[in-house]
Amino acid sequence: MGKLDITIEICGMSGDGTIAAGGLLNTAMSRAGWSVLAFDSYPAEIRGFGRCVTRSRFGETKQIALEDSTDVLISLDDKQSLSRIPFLADDAVVLFDNKPSAHLAEGESIAAHVAPGMALYGAPFLDLASSASGSGKGRNLAALGALAAIYNLPLDYFREVIAAKFKSKGDRVVEANHKSFDAGWEYAREQFADRIRGIPIPGTAGEEPEKLLLSGNVAIAEGALAANVKSYFGYPITPATPIMEYLAGKLPERDGRVVQMEDEISAIGAVLGSFFAGTRAMTATSGPGFALMTELITHGVMSETPAVIVDAQRGGPATGLPTKTEQSDLLAAVFGGPGDSARIVIAPTDVTECYHYTAKSFRLAEKYQTPVIILTDFFLDNRVENLVRPTSRPGDIEDGNVYPAIADRWNYHRYRLTESGISPRALPGMEGYIFPATGLEHRQEGVPDFSPENHMVMSQKRRTKILSALADLESPVEYADPGRLDVGVISWGSSFGAALDAVNTAREQGLRVGALKVTTMYPYHAEEIRAFMSRCQEILIPELNLSGQLATLIGHLFPKDVIRLNMVTGIPIYPSVILVKIREIIGVQGR
Amino acid sequence: MKTSGKALAQKVERIEASEVFSIRSDELPTWCPGCGYFGIHFGINNAIQQLALLHHQVVVVSGIGCAGRYPFFSHTYGLHTVHGRALPVATGVKLANPELTVLAVGGDGDGLGIGGGHFPHAARRDININYILFDNAIYGLTKGQPSPSTPVGFKTKASPQGTREQPLNATLLALSYGASFVARLFAGDPEGITRALTAGIRHEGFSFYHVYTTCVTFDKQNRTWDHLKKSVHALPENHDRTDRGRAIEHVLRDNDSLGIIYQESR
Repeated sequence: MGKLDITIEICGMSGDGTIAAGGLLNTAMSRAGWSVLAFDSYPAEIRGFGRCVTRSRFGETKQIALEDSTDVLISLDDKQSLSRIPFLADDAVVLFDNKPSAHLAEGESIAAHVAPGMALYGAPFLDLASSASGSGKGRNLAALGALAAIYNLPLDYFREVIAAKFKSKGDRVVEANHKSFDAGWEYAREQFADRIRGIPIPGTAGEEPEKLLLSGNVAIAEGALAANVKSYFGYPITPATPIMEYLAGKLPERDGRVVQMEDEISAIGAVLGSFFAGTRAMTATSGPGFALMTELITHGVMSETPAVIVDAQRGGPATGLPTKTEQSDLLAAVFGGPGDSARIVIAPTDVTECYHYTAKSFRLAEKYQTPVIILTDFFLDNRVENLVRPTSRPGDIEDGNVYPAIADRWNYHRYRLTESGISPRALPGMEGYIFPATGLEHRQEGVPDFSPENHMVMSQKRRTKILSALADLESPVEYADPGRLDVGVISWGSSFGAALDAVNTAREQGLRVGALKVTTMYPYHAEEIRAFMSRCQEILIPELNLSGQLATLIGHLFPKDVIRLNMVTGIPIYPSVILVKIREIIGVQGR
Repeated sequence: MKTSGKALAQKVERIEASEVFSIRSDELPTWCPGCGYFGIHFGINNAIQQLALLHHQVVVVSGIGCAGRYPFFSHTYGLHTVHGRALPVATGVKLANPELTVLAVGGDGDGLGIGGGHFPHAARRDININYILFDNAIYGLTKGQPSPSTPVGFKTKASPQGTREQPLNATLLALSYGASFVARLFAGDPEGITRALTAGIRHEGFSFYHVYTTCVTFDKQNRTWDHLKKSVHALPENHDRTDRGRAIEHVLRDNDSLGIIYQESR
């Protein structure tokens, strides 16, 4: 048996317990020592009665991207699952309910549709659950039990996570679910005795520190808590809302608060007001809300007031595709709004980075007295990875404020010109440092001044300050052998994992390629990016937007045109798509 | 009524002795000579003085417009935000540091037009901030366009046929939004402004001050000093400021009474 890399999908109608079953599977697999990367898709309409799909990729080493093909499909509703058949691997395993409650017309059973190379496992999930527990509700657990038997998965972990999940509902519910699970397991064990597959059990099970299953959104919220955020001001919007809801459960016990504001404009307004008075605050939104925040973000730039804003990107423009993923707010985040309003924009690429980047953003905002925008997207926000509980890195969460000197008391100029562009900032309540802050152009004292020389000097000051932040921002990371590369792949955000996955495969195939991870979007590390580009024959930039926004932002650093690979399908980009493109550029066909 | 030279001299002496000018900044206000905002400025400064608030413990948050410039003329911490957004920013400031006295100031265009969506929420959120609306019923800084409180038929360059929309009544709005402290005031009566503010700043909750004022440059027909002085009058002596329903009834009948119209007892 080779290295484990298996993608398991559960598909059903809403109400089938699809998402619950996926969650149990992920948790059990994580406990057993496998790495997990999971991403569920569900309908935007609450009452839509639509299709639910959970997709999880399990492996021995860290999984960094989802693949386009599924190895195992568990069908809880064949009508829904039929649509998944094109995404199955040629030798996929399909596990389905061969005695569902509703009679299926000829041809509606998934059994009639699988391709010849696939393996079918039919089990009466509903009957098994009903006779074992007295209720058909547990048919999703019977299905999990059958899966566990077929793959010889460690049972203890499943029993543990089932007990933990249903504990709050009482012992009887736990028992009923255990019984449904066991019934599925025993049935499969017996019926498929000669077709048991088994997968390699990680040797590390129980040895490593326990891992948590964490979504990008929860990691962001946890990062903010690590940085001692006191207030969250927000307005509900998909996919950012879970950050607000998570913090609403945590902040009150830490002497903080979540305030649901009347719109996104007031949310960013209150964040600026809070930082102005010296208290850490944040907001999170998505494209439409981010657009509304634009004016006040530039006020933060002009008045040099800190703010932390998460833009959880979704499909756009306008209301766009609320429950789909896209990376098309990059240029709006970097350049959006009136005037020359440079601000810090960072974009984590995985769940761990969501945590660390958010934790650090408060210090960056304070030190550089600027809004800091954290760009994520639907895929990164909602995907679940298993990881060791992150803890804040030394230095990341300390007070970043640069306070004025005692000597400046009674003679304090808020926007004093300095070499770095950083002017010491007093906070209301400090005696002897009274100043007005304003979104009008102003001179060092903070009072309006529209003279030509003043606007030049102050604009330059603000720009110098933001550029000086490069020293504190994450440098690009190269994944490549030294020397010349035929193709250098540069990517960002949630697409980077797919890019690296594709590059890793290409390198295994003997191709001279490399990847560059860019997480600091503005200001960007031009020298480091250029150094990587200079040893590449071609530069490929895959990203989830139509025009190639990262390519537009940094493409000018490469003497030739960079090659853009753009997708706006609402779903994450798959490594295979990038691999095919790499091979095409080099001149070899296919994967 | 003319003030005699002697009385004026005594008044000036009294004012100087009160040190109220220490709350003025070194910046000269950019408001036009004769502007009602000078009276409001004086009334606010006097309240800060009477309550013995430390200047560095006061933050004035403003929007955009002639009133938006207020922070530059006040020797307190100031945050001049963008158009219409003083209230949410003031909310953030107050929650960040409850020790601070937070004043939000702005005009009728700022607070009833572009920022009109924040007013009800600041009122129902009831955080301890003081919102002073300078209502001169016109956009002054952009040189005289009709505002949400301009009366029907008012002619400007932007409304040559006269405005058609009904004006908003900010006092009535505040009462119906559930504001826990509502006062109606007049720029020509700084003492009244001071009285209301000294009560409102001590009020634990959202305090709203609707100040009738003038634009001497762009409004020669409607809300002029002459008209205002003739129309405004004190609240009836028997006005019950603890009853929101009665306060609303009163305001529907009488648009010109001045004083603390409503205060929730707490």
